[in-house]
Amino acid sequence: MEPLTYTGALGDVLDPILGISVAALLVTSAVAIVASVFTAGERVVLNPDGTAAIQPGLSGMVGRAQTYALWAVLATVVAYIVAGMVVGYSGGGIFGGMAQAFTPVWLSLVALFVASFTYKRKLGLYGKLFDSTIGMIGFGLVMFWVFTAFYAGVLDMIYTHDPLGQVSGMKNEPPGTALNGAEDTDFPFYLLGGDNLARDVFSRMVYGSTIVMQIAPMATLFAFMVGITLGLPAGYYGGTLDTVLSFLANLILAFPVILLFYLLVTPEIVQTGLPNYMAAVLFLFPLVFLGVLINSRYRTQPPTRNLYLGVTMAVGLLFYFSLIMDQTSTLGLFRLWPGFLDLFDISGQVLIVFVSVVFVNSPTVFRIVRGLTLDIKTRDYVAAAQTRGETPWYIMLWEILPNARGPLIVDFCLRIGYTTILLGTLGFFGLGLPPESPDWGTTINDGRRLLSVYPHPAIVPALALLSLVLGLNLLADGLREESLRD
Amino acid sequence: MKLTTDHQGPILEINQLSISFFTRLREIPAVMDFSVDVQPGEAVGLVGESGCGKSTVALGVMQDLGKNGRIVGGSIKFKGRDLSELSAEDLRDIRGNEIAMIYQEPMASLNPAMRIGKQLMEVPMLHDNASEKEAYDLALQVVTDVKLPDPQRMLDSYPHQLSGGQQQRIVIAMALMSKPALLILDEPTTALDVTVEAGIVSLVKDLGKKYGTSMLFISHNLGLVLETCDRVCVMYSGEAVEDGAIAEVFDNMRHPYTQALFRSIPLPGADKTARPLIAIPGNFPLPHERPPGCNFGPRCDYFEAGRCDQGAIPMADAGPGHHSRCLRFEEIDWAAPPANTEQPPANPPGDPVLRVEGLKKYYQVAANALFGGGQEKVVKANETLDFVAHESETLAIVGESGCGKSTLAKVLMGLETATDGTITMGNRDIQSTPIEARGTKQVSEIQMVFQNPFDTLNPSMTVGRQIIRALEVFDYGANDRERRERMLQLLDLVKLPREFADRMPRQLSGGQKQRVGIARAFAGDARIVVADEPVSALDVSVQAAVTDLLMEIQREHKTTLLFISHDLSIVRYLSDRIMVMYLGHVVEMGQTDDVFSPPYHPYTEALLSAVPIADTSVQKKHIVLEGDIPSAMDPPSGCPFQTRCRWKDQVPGDLCETEVPQMKNFGTHQIKCHLSEEILGRMEPVIEIHDSGAAAALAENTA
Repeated sequence: MEPLTYTGALGDVLDPILGISVAALLVTSAVAIVASVFTAGERVVLNPDGTAAIQPGLSGMVGRAQTYALWAVLATVVAYIVAGMVVGYSGGGIFGGMAQAFTPVWLSLVALFVASFTYKRKLGLYGKLFDSTIGMIGFGLVMFWVFTAFYAGVLDMIYTHDPLGQVSGMKNEPPGTALNGAEDTDFPFYLLGGDNLARDVFSRMVYGSTIVMQIAPMATLFAFMVGITLGLPAGYYGGTLDTVLSFLANLILAFPVILLFYLLVTPEIVQTGLPNYMAAVLFLFPLVFLGVLINSRYRTQPPTRNLYLGVTMAVGLLFYFSLIMDQTSTLGLFRLWPGFLDLFDISGQVLIVFVSVVFVNSPTVFRIVRGLTLDIKTRDYVAAAQTRGETPWYIMLWEILPNARGPLIVDFCLRIGYTTILLGTLGFFGLGLPPESPDWGTTINDGRRLLSVYPHPAIVPALALLSLVLGLNLLADGLREESLRD
Repeated sequence: MKLTTDHQGPILEINQLSISFFTRLREIPAVMDFSVDVQPGEAVGLVGESGCGKSTVALGVMQDLGKNGRIVGGSIKFKGRDLSELSAEDLRDIRGNEIAMIYQEPMASLNPAMRIGKQLMEVPMLHDNASEKEAYDLALQVVTDVKLPDPQRMLDSYPHQLSGGQQQRIVIAMALMSKPALLILDEPTTALDVTVEAGIVSLVKDLGKKYGTSMLFISHNLGLVLETCDRVCVMYSGEAVEDGAIAEVFDNMRHPYTQALFRSIPLPGADKTARPLIAIPGNFPLPHERPPGCNFGPRCDYFEAGRCDQGAIPMADAGPGHHSRCLRFEEIDWAAPPANTEQPPANPPGDPVLRVEGLKKYYQVAANALFGGGQEKVVKANETLDFVAHESETLAIVGESGCGKSTLAKVLMGLETATDGTITMGNRDIQSTPIEARGTKQVSEIQMVFQNPFDTLNPSMTVGRQIIRALEVFDYGANDRERRERMLQLLDLVKLPREFADRMPRQLSGGQKQRVGIARAFAGDARIVVADEPVSALDVSVQAAVTDLLMEIQREHKTTLLFISHDLSIVRYLSDRIMVMYLGHVVEMGQTDDVFSPPYHPYTEALLSAVPIADTSVQKKHIVLEGDIPSAMDPPSGCPFQTRCRWKDQVPGDLCETEVPQMKNFGTHQIKCHLSEEILGRMEPVIEIHDSGAAAALAENTA
């Protein structure tokens, strides 16, 4: 079979349009920059009858042209996607094939945006996000990968080949190569080519999103639990506790991260069980957090308190011990938990990555929470809670924490981005995840060796990583901007 | 460079100005059909409640309305030139040079990283191309003019090294550096203590005369406007409702809003039982929910349906230079006494419930917290306090910032424990029982109402939930249903609709939030309520309503109210006894009438003189205290007030510097001063009410 071109028959029509609209956008942008230096912006003129009119001026007109050009570019891109979904690889080439493969993601995105847009006034801060273009773009990028991870990881959709499977003759083949010896049931092409072990780059990229989406948000969440549980008392009590905790946080922050990771994955260190002990400590924080949260809220009603606390602790402890206990561990301590209650094991490698990511992120979260607490604890409603005899933990978790949520949500988005990059970095250094893992960092590292000859195995996951992190940053920007306005 | 030098006629002419802000939902008109002229050398006051558009007018004059604001009608002419037609460069020349502005928060107007001198010198160097030497000389002269001690040292210091009052003087000096033709003062003293405020006000008045500057004085405080301005313009919900000469507007008001405003502020003569305040019913309309016709219509006593709600109402002449935006001002009998003033029953104080003896609270401040060492300093926040509070009595605690009143509240609440002395509540000593060690009943018996309505409620919890939480903590009720029922009753008690239970605090106005705060304090049937400036952050019309609510609940529940305030007008109105504090000491204590009439403690005397009173018939003695309140870290030796006292030379020897005076008893009235009884007896009253309308009405009422 003929190898696929990038845009296929569709490209004959759409490629020139895209070229023209992109050129128009570049030209108008350049003119706009020049014009803004030399001419005044738009001016409001008041008519004698009390109405106001806007005189656009030169830069106003250029700005309008720029907007039209941008819309043209966007419209062409949408045309690629929609047409590609219909005609697939046979008419749309590589992009058509990918557009068709991502069909469930496109449909979910459209449904989500239409629904959110319709009800945006009733959805609080989330709804306000749809007033900011930046925020919407960011949210769109992030949700693209969330849906991709969901459909690929849970429903086994989207990816075209086994991400770990090798097909002879496909080694380092360029994008669009037809599959060697394809059966009728097989997808007939490697859409984005093959890597140096003859695996499908497209499928690995899609499947890699599942791993990234599993580890990064969870690790960030755990880092937040640790940072919050320590940051609140440090800010609230101050004094020696604050001094000691802040000192420890600074100590961790000052330690070179990569060196720390190298130390943690060194076989000798792993043998001592240090990562497992760290996991045992770090994973305890969410439990403590939830326990204190419930206890402080319902302390005046012991029956309710006992019920909620009991259920949470039972479930929490089950998960906790399943997580840290390992029946195959060489250390006796970690085999204490009975096997039938050990619901799942996570591989040692993943555990180490998880622990190290939480460990290096929590000090920063700690500092943010501590600073916010210092500010909020001077408010009158905190004094009011004190004067009616509330416990310190109630004040910290129910009076202070909810009012610190704005900056924390923004930081959460940004931090998922950092964590994603960190995972990539770890994978790149060959630390952490197993070498055949399709996650983006490891894949980039694999592809790097033949980068000058076969760039596609490294570039594809790199672009994926870029778009996700960009999306998270834009989302955080949008949230911050919109939460400041009213 | 000054743009225009020889202009005749008004400095500022604002003609039918309308300003709107554009949000993503709608256009919000902030100012509508607003006209005012400022003549050379004249001071014009702009009064109104928050949200009435007075600051927007000032920003409009500065042409600084931000991205969303826009002038949608009318014109602003400065020295005959229309400001909206000027280019950005011309505007830059005018701002800070010909029109200067002074804001509320002095620290926010000064660059914290620049020495005072540099900041002042920038003005002439930027606008007049002055040399560094000329600029320095001018700065030195202006700083001397604003009566700051040691001007050279001042120029060399950074803003944070100065006190709030000194900072505001520097801001004024900066505004005067370019000898502006117009000075806009936006609530210039709201962030300052009363005695400091009095100093600033008299300074502004003197400087206005000396430099011949016209002033636009924006304030919510009618008393302050009376003291500073020649003419006044009253604003309500984006419109000027009345303007005219000060005496005209204050004595012969011709708009129902102005009248209602004056009836809701505690003037001398008002009394909580004999002549209670009359709150303005209803709420300030939101800018996009203004009623048709007269904006004040729905809250007005003289409202006539079919007439007042039919389209816009123009300003009409109500005498020479006096205008009113009321259709009915000619029909209304302005001299008639307020209708339906029911007199609530008097409330005699009962048995003592709180007894404080020899209370001391010292704080240890170490120089270095981590490694110890350094010199330990002792801050004496409270120094031997003795007082008794009775059942259903209002005891006012008066003093300025740093006098120790908040520390006293903390010790009473159990957030701090006393260093020495006893506090007896009921029959138990609680001075060294921190709040964690107090029983539920003990905690619920003494509760607090806080000052800042925007801070008193947790912004992320519904109103009902916050009250229910207090009930939970105080062990009220057996289940959630009972507590919810009780919460609704508490909302009834503070006169809030029951639907408010499910609202978030941001959906409530300041006064409504304060009511929720009161409901929360009374959740556990408190016997003692410490109210820390509960109304000082509220608008005047709302103040009256909240004050009356507190009084009413007090009458019903026989609560003891410890009312902390710096506002002597409101204290005079509602308290039975007053305790004046200065730097941790009680300097004077007695029945309200005793404290307000001589003999005074010298500090009380200054405090009484400093409080602006919005009544033209009141004649005040003019006493301005020198300097600032000393730091509690480093209090003066001997009498705490000796550094600022104007009677000090009447005391023989250096008694004031060396010895803390003993309390002198005058019946129920106590004064802590070294002055001999004979000199104290010779003191004259600070506030005198001249025989005129108000006094006559008062006499009539009491007869």
